[in-house]
Amino acid sequence: MKIPSTSLSTRQLGGYVCSGCTRQLRRQRRSYATSTVNPDLYDVVCVGGGPAGLSLLAALRSQPATANLKIALVESQRLDATRNFQLPPTQFSNRCSSLTPSSVRFLEQVGAWQHVDQKRVQSYEEMQVWDGVTGARIEFDWPAEKRGQTIAYMNENLNLTSGLLKRIDELGGVEVLDGQKVEDIALGSETEDFDLSSWPVVSLSGGRKLAARLLVGADGANSPVRAFAGIGSRGWDYERHGVVATLQMEGPGWGGESKIAYQRFLPTGPVAMLPLPGDYSTLVWSTTPALAAHLKTLSPKDFIAMVNAAFRLSPVDLAYMHTQSDGQADELAWRSQHTNFDQHRIPQQVIGVQEGSIASFPLKLRHADTYIGERVALVGDAAHTIHPLAGQGLNQGQGDVESLANTIQYAVTHGQDIGVRMSLEPYNAERYAANNMLLGVVDKLHKLYAVESGPIVPLRSIGLRAVNALGPVKQFFMDQAAGTGVKIL
Amino acid sequence: MALFVRPSALRSSLPRDLIAACTISLNSRHFSVLNRPPPNYPGHVPLTFIERAGLAVGSAVISLANPYRGDLIAALGEATATPYFIYRLRDAMLASPTGRRILRDRPRITSQTLSMTYLRSLPPNTVGRVYADWLDREGVSPDTRESVKYIDDEECAYVMQRYRECHDFFHALTGLPVMVEGEVALKAFEFANTLLPMTGLSMFAVTRLKPAERKRFFTIYGPWAIRNGLGAQEVINVYWEEQLERDVEDLRAELGIEKPVDLRDIRKRERARKKAEKEAKERSGDSLGVN
Ligand SMILES: Cc1cc2nc3c(=O)[nH]c(=O)nc-3n(C[C@H](O)[C@H](O)[C@H](O)COP(=O)(O)OP(=O)(O)OC[C@H]3O[C@@H](n4cnc5c(N)ncnc54)[C@H](O)[C@@H]3O)c2cc1C
Repeated sequence: MKIPSTSLSTRQLGGYVCSGCTRQLRRQRRSYATSTVNPDLYDVVCVGGGPAGLSLLAALRSQPATANLKIALVESQRLDATRNFQLPPTQFSNRCSSLTPSSVRFLEQVGAWQHVDQKRVQSYEEMQVWDGVTGARIEFDWPAEKRGQTIAYMNENLNLTSGLLKRIDELGGVEVLDGQKVEDIALGSETEDFDLSSWPVVSLSGGRKLAARLLVGADGANSPVRAFAGIGSRGWDYERHGVVATLQMEGPGWGGESKIAYQRFLPTGPVAMLPLPGDYSTLVWSTTPALAAHLKTLSPKDFIAMVNAAFRLSPVDLAYMHTQSDGQADELAWRSQHTNFDQHRIPQQVIGVQEGSIASFPLKLRHADTYIGERVALVGDAAHTIHPLAGQGLNQGQGDVESLANTIQYAVTHGQDIGVRMSLEPYNAERYAANNMLLGVVDKLHKLYAVESGPIVPLRSIGLRAVNALGPVKQFFMDQAAGTGVKIL
Repeated sequence: MALFVRPSALRSSLPRDLIAACTISLNSRHFSVLNRPPPNYPGHVPLTFIERAGLAVGSAVISLANPYRGDLIAALGEATATPYFIYRLRDAMLASPTGRRILRDRPRITSQTLSMTYLRSLPPNTVGRVYADWLDREGVSPDTRESVKYIDDEECAYVMQRYRECHDFFHALTGLPVMVEGEVALKAFEFANTLLPMTGLSMFAVTRLKPAERKRFFTIYGPWAIRNGLGAQEVINVYWEEQLERDVEDLRAELGIEKPVDLRDIRKRERARKKAEKEAKERSGDSLGVN
């Protein structure tokens, strides 16, 4: 086992840990009779094996400079199900996310995208976005020279995490502690050998204790790591739930080979239909908790009618249909005769909903006060939770991970302690403002479109139409959506 | 709603695009008198924007001069109801289960669909009987309604038709007579209830009332109309055909409408009082020997 050639002050246990050394340290410690279990030492302990945590581990293990760090992953769920994720081509998990080309480029770079089942990934080249109250539209279609270019890739979260796990297994060297909950995180203590008083020590439900030079919180919106670090998180709940479902469509879509994503802004929140391979689509419908609960009580036939209605009928009709306990299919058939819509600018008819795929999640906006603390870094939803209307949550997490992996690499190659705040500062500086900006823009969009009447309504339709008519502005929005544009800030 | 952005607009300069984008909603109908599109329903006459404006102004002026030109009042109603107000009324119907049923069934109120003999046979306190009595007292028939011509959307055209055909039920429910003074009071009620501009515009007829009538409007019927029109349920959502045998007081209570003081009674009493005053004056004049 190679010890990285760094010569740091040993008082703070400066040199990086390798498994051999810890064993040695532990042996030494055993000779001192202590009543408590001594922690195992790691360079990086990552809590959370979601998309963000797994990407970070794949990135660290695949970069030569960071490949020798001693790394542990703690995840409360068993990861076998994720690792062996497999479904027939006619079934899709209901948790899907759109990955921007820059997220995919990063995943390719860390060697994980190759392990993602490409038959289950669907790219789309066009977006149709419109206002459900005024009908104003914005069409996102590339100019001739860029036609056919991918805006984003729809993918099941499980297909991604499964690919990431396969890549991590292939690289080896990560101690995976799955099926174990974090029970406590506290600072270590000073012993005669070394000073762990600034090191977070993570106690697991299985009884293990891990001391981390750098503790990474990739543990989702209710991050225990963030709570340990005393980092505040501000924001608000939208009083909205996101209803998701896997849908079977009447055909592969109007675009033939090139697929289209649809989003309609309703007064209760946006409803989006995103393409999956073949005749399938995934739904994200943000609506009030009461209406979300109502949707989940409907029979498949009436649920399908509600989804078709959501892209076709007026908000008045939808409001009424939300009060019906059944009979939505009949209501849709009648109202469709009296409502004008251009078939080819809305999704094809939904004809089926996958059993057990209807679920809902509360939507909130949260932003941690900072992403770093002494020996702590937060990534992904632990750092920020965003409204899903722009499909950016998971992508922001990928951006964080790429930046943090680079920051760690820089620290290692420049002989710094990867856990100290000063080493982590570039990560916070690079990501905080950018994420804050995106959170703000998406939040304002949500609020703008949650208004049903009043002076804002005609103004926002002028806004959408104006954007639609202005080539350069539209280009800018599309580049942002695809993550290929100039970064704002 | 159709968007007519010409492809060339995308390529031309920035401010022009903005202007184009902002004005689209105004010229949503692109045709001239020479290439009028086919009708959307039997009897439909598609109008250009200019024609519609002309129709509104012309019919308003003439119907003000002659409030008995029902055809023009109808035209005024249609010309000013589109595009916004008739949609509001249709949406009010779509928001109510009964309103939706009416839109589905599309019932029509004519002397064929409602038998006068049947209505007259109902007990005196029922909606149907009050309606029949009102028609008899005012000497009008449900068939005197114009059919809708100028509203483009086929469903909205029905809403306008329905509104028109229900008008006499509003009369019956409130007891307001067809004379200009009663009509103005009812229009004020309808305006507050439906927000259809024509009903508001018709109130300019207030200027044609005699001073005593105008005073009554501002002290009695105007305030009544606003209070009731705003406070009541949307009267367009009453399925009259199903309410015929219902107690009329019951229905008024459910809708939140109080019956105003009887206008014909007031006028009768007023006339009697005037006559009595005049006679008294004459008598006293006689006795004083003044000529
Ligand atoms: C309805 C909806 C639609 C969305 N659509 C999109 C989209 O289209 N595009 C997009 O980019 N994003 C989307 N998102 C957001 C996206 O799903 C999240 O941003 C993403 O899953 C966050 O990943 P993460 O790894 O940061 O956190 P998570 O996926 O939440 O992972 C956290 C992990 O930590 C583990 N954990 C938590 N606590 C503990 C503990 N105490 N001990 C041990 N382990 C623990 C959990 O088990 C979990 O595996 C959507 C979200 C919702 C709700």
